[in-house]
Amino acid sequence: MNTKYLDLKTRLAEIHDLEKIRWVLGWDQRTMMPPKGGAVRAEQLATLEKVRLEKWTSPEIGKLLDDLRPYQESLPYDSDEASLIRYARREYDKLLRVPPALEAEMARAASIGTEAWIEARKKSDFSIFLPHLQKNVELKFKYVECFDDYDHVYDVLLDDFEPGMKTAEVRAVFDDLRKDLVPLIAAINERVDSVSDACVHGHFPIDKQREFCQSVIERFGFNADSWRLDPTVHPFASSSCTTDIRITTRYYEDFLNPALFGSMHECGHGLYENGVSPALERTPLCRGTSLGLHESQSRMWENLVGRSRPFWKFFYPKLQAAFPDQFSNVDAETFYRAINKVQPSLIRVEADEATYNLHIILRFELEQEIMEGKIALRDLPEVWNARMKSYLGVDVPNDAQGVLQDIHWSSGSIGYFSTYSLGNIISCQIWEKALEAMPDLYEQFERGEFMALREWLRENLHRHGRKFTPKETLQKLVGGDISVGPYVRYLKSKLGEIYRV
Amino acid sequence: MFMTLKLQKLKTLLNEVQDLRSVGDLLEWDQQTCMPSGGGESRAEQFATVKKLAHERFVADEIGQLLADLSAKGAAGDYDSDDASLVRYTKYEYDRKRKLPSALESEIAQHTSAAQEIWVKARAENNFKFFQPALEKMYDLKHQEAEAIGYSESIYDALLQEYERDMTAAQVKSVFDPLRAEIAPLVKAILPRVDSVSDACLHQPFDVDKQREFEATVIKQFGFDFGRGRVDVAVHPFEINFSPDDVRLTTRYDPNFLNPSLFGTMHEAGHGMYEQNVSPTIRRTPLCGGTSLGIHESQSRLWENLVGRSRGFWIHFYPKLQAAFPHLAAADLETFYRAVNRVSPSLIRVEADELTYSLHIMLRFEIEKEVLEGRVRVSDLPEVWNAKMQEYLGITPPNDKLGVLQDVHWAAGLVGYFPTYALGTIISVQLFERAIADVPGIPAQIERGEFSGLFNWLKDHVYRHGKKFTPTEVVERATGGPLNSAPYVKYLKTKFGEIYGV
Repeated sequence: MNTKYLDLKTRLAEIHDLEKIRWVLGWDQRTMMPPKGGAVRAEQLATLEKVRLEKWTSPEIGKLLDDLRPYQESLPYDSDEASLIRYARREYDKLLRVPPALEAEMARAASIGTEAWIEARKKSDFSIFLPHLQKNVELKFKYVECFDDYDHVYDVLLDDFEPGMKTAEVRAVFDDLRKDLVPLIAAINERVDSVSDACVHGHFPIDKQREFCQSVIERFGFNADSWRLDPTVHPFASSSCTTDIRITTRYYEDFLNPALFGSMHECGHGLYENGVSPALERTPLCRGTSLGLHESQSRMWENLVGRSRPFWKFFYPKLQAAFPDQFSNVDAETFYRAINKVQPSLIRVEADEATYNLHIILRFELEQEIMEGKIALRDLPEVWNARMKSYLGVDVPNDAQGVLQDIHWSSGSIGYFSTYSLGNIISCQIWEKALEAMPDLYEQFERGEFMALREWLRENLHRHGRKFTPKETLQKLVGGDISVGPYVRYLKSKLGEIYRV
Repeated sequence: MFMTLKLQKLKTLLNEVQDLRSVGDLLEWDQQTCMPSGGGESRAEQFATVKKLAHERFVADEIGQLLADLSAKGAAGDYDSDDASLVRYTKYEYDRKRKLPSALESEIAQHTSAAQEIWVKARAENNFKFFQPALEKMYDLKHQEAEAIGYSESIYDALLQEYERDMTAAQVKSVFDPLRAEIAPLVKAILPRVDSVSDACLHQPFDVDKQREFEATVIKQFGFDFGRGRVDVAVHPFEINFSPDDVRLTTRYDPNFLNPSLFGTMHEAGHGMYEQNVSPTIRRTPLCGGTSLGIHESQSRLWENLVGRSRGFWIHFYPKLQAAFPHLAAADLETFYRAVNRVSPSLIRVEADELTYSLHIMLRFEIEKEVLEGRVRVSDLPEVWNAKMQEYLGITPPNDKLGVLQDVHWAAGLVGYFPTYALGTIISVQLFERAIADVPGIPAQIERGEFSGLFNWLKDHVYRHGKKFTPTEVVERATGGPLNSAPYVKYLKTKFGEIYGV
């Protein structure tokens, strides 16, 4: 094999190690670290990131990438080698454009901003957060200036989370989605009380929840040799390599949904990381290709599988056995309706499958308008509240339940939100393909069998890791670009049946 | 460049090195407590990468130049200042690391992992011959390492100083010899009366959750800060930390035997309190940590034995232990006190009691020194081992598995490490005696379950300094005298003389 390629691969392996180590530190911080360990941990994370960026942007990497151009062109496009060089080239060019001082300043502002946001949310006082938001946005403008090949300033931010995706494209997709969603939700809203979710509220001992969640995700592919499930405050999935997957969840004694659907959601993320081809281990390709594709997997296992009738045909008797006091007098249909209840609400992370997207569209629009300079940041609470009223028909009583509810902007993650809805949309595109390939999928679920789906996903999506861009990956998988058709069909058919609209 | 700027530059570079070292430690903790088995292969790579980066960055020429410039007398401040200490300590470590050729270092690293695998098999099969070639090679490599580093008297000094940076084999021998002369006859006198003390009360079912709860209460009262630390389960218990604000202890529960976790937790908490109380001013520098293995072990032994196995301690805690485990009601305080102090010469070091433990160490120290100095051949080790066991402890191992093959240390390249265990024990008594001399109320406080007098004295005289002073300096500054085994001998004679009536 080409010795320069091996040299590049060795360097990238170390860079990848540093990235994965950062994930381990992050997992530890959110599950294990003693409360006062945070200050030094932040320094350790900053040092790791500094070293990682130094390594990525070293002239040796640039030289190797130049020298390897003919080698790359001599290889099949789909080969691991060509894909690694291609990915590295893109990443290198991008990282090289951003001065390390700006990176450091953004990291610091993010860290201080998050602290301020915690306090502002606690006191429901936007003015505490405002200067930090201003700082983060100002730095984003500086960040955008590092680039020149974009149609819209927001493209640059979007690209960090959904590489290759353009603002105009997301806007078009969201416009389509909103056109169908708004009337659907309005119709449901008139019959909102025809579904009750009282049965998922009550008393659910945490040990039992943990056991039940574990029994579900074990059927999805979780196993003790390669996975962990731990409690945390804000659930997430993380991995150290394809055979060390860490997922987290949060338990409420009086509400079943967060841990139950949360653990399926995180398991979906974990399965993606777990399914990347072992040949890509210890390379930067060993990861899901974008946040949107990642989210398509978490949403698929959480919603398309976990909120489906066939799934509960198998699991509901088991759930009844685990929580007899709660469910012995509740029939399967009542439960199915309860976990699919639609209700416009204030908080994104508590939103149902249908209204969730309106929360995202609102944030996506505000981010764009901020980056276009159309909104003064101090007016943000007012604008937020007005749009919540217009999109969801709800009145925001205070900023803690409004503009201050999400951590993202405080940590500099502007451009992130839209990937949640892109994931919803993509999950249904993939789902239709999966059903075409395996018409008996639902019958399998009724028997508690999920391995065929998992293997199909591994074969068609997971194993590629980052070999292909998100667009290429989706093209290979569904034979087209992102499109809302399947998602809208899914919501209309499912919710139409439940609410008779 | 002005000295202050150079110092600032040095600190910035060392902060990053220290961060990377701490990250390596975190990966190790994670591996031993949390990591699913599937993560092992990638973890080894991640660990190697971060180790390599930390090493490369530490031995960089730039750091060498800064250290050289700042080492001029007074350039970084008074001897006792944080800055001068940082330069002094870092220069010591830097010079030592630069002396070791990287080819030799990686050969040792490679052989270390190979030799450990061979050792595991040899021990399982009770076959020293199978281990012998790997051990010979290890001693040969350690010999080369010692030559590269250099020494003035014994070649052993070069290796010992990896762990005790200003001690020599001669110094160790000078405290070990009188200790052995006193302990060996004491052990022989107790041997016929071993059965006058029973530890049956410790071998009963003990609910693991209750064990955990009780131990947490104890070490919290000692001064271990759970806001900056935690306790988890590991197969081989240890203490590790990533900053004074993040100290992790591990323990191992036996549901039918109280001692492993009870005394193990106090032991690890001693290590942990040392680390938690290093001065915040030297955080994220190479000074942030215990100054040597011996001084570290003095703290684990002090809290485990001098406190945790004392009558005063149990006057306060035994009623609480009985409340947690009502079936202990049948054993009175004195019975329990005698049980936790039972002497029983054993073949295995890690199972040894307080009295005989040092004898196991002396034997290893003498053997490894003689092998390095070329006076004993590796092939003769089983024979030499067994003869010394008979001489010191009055027992002969029936096989090598229970003899020369029992410890991983030599296979892991840890030659020169063993004496630090006994040095720690010796130093623990020196410090404890001095603390009581300075704060006479300590024994009465312990009987009331109060430890602040002792804790604060240790924090002030040992913990806060981190690595600012050498182990010898710490002993001298804290106790006003040199390393000395006489207090330890006196302690053992009094305590075990009373228990066994000898």
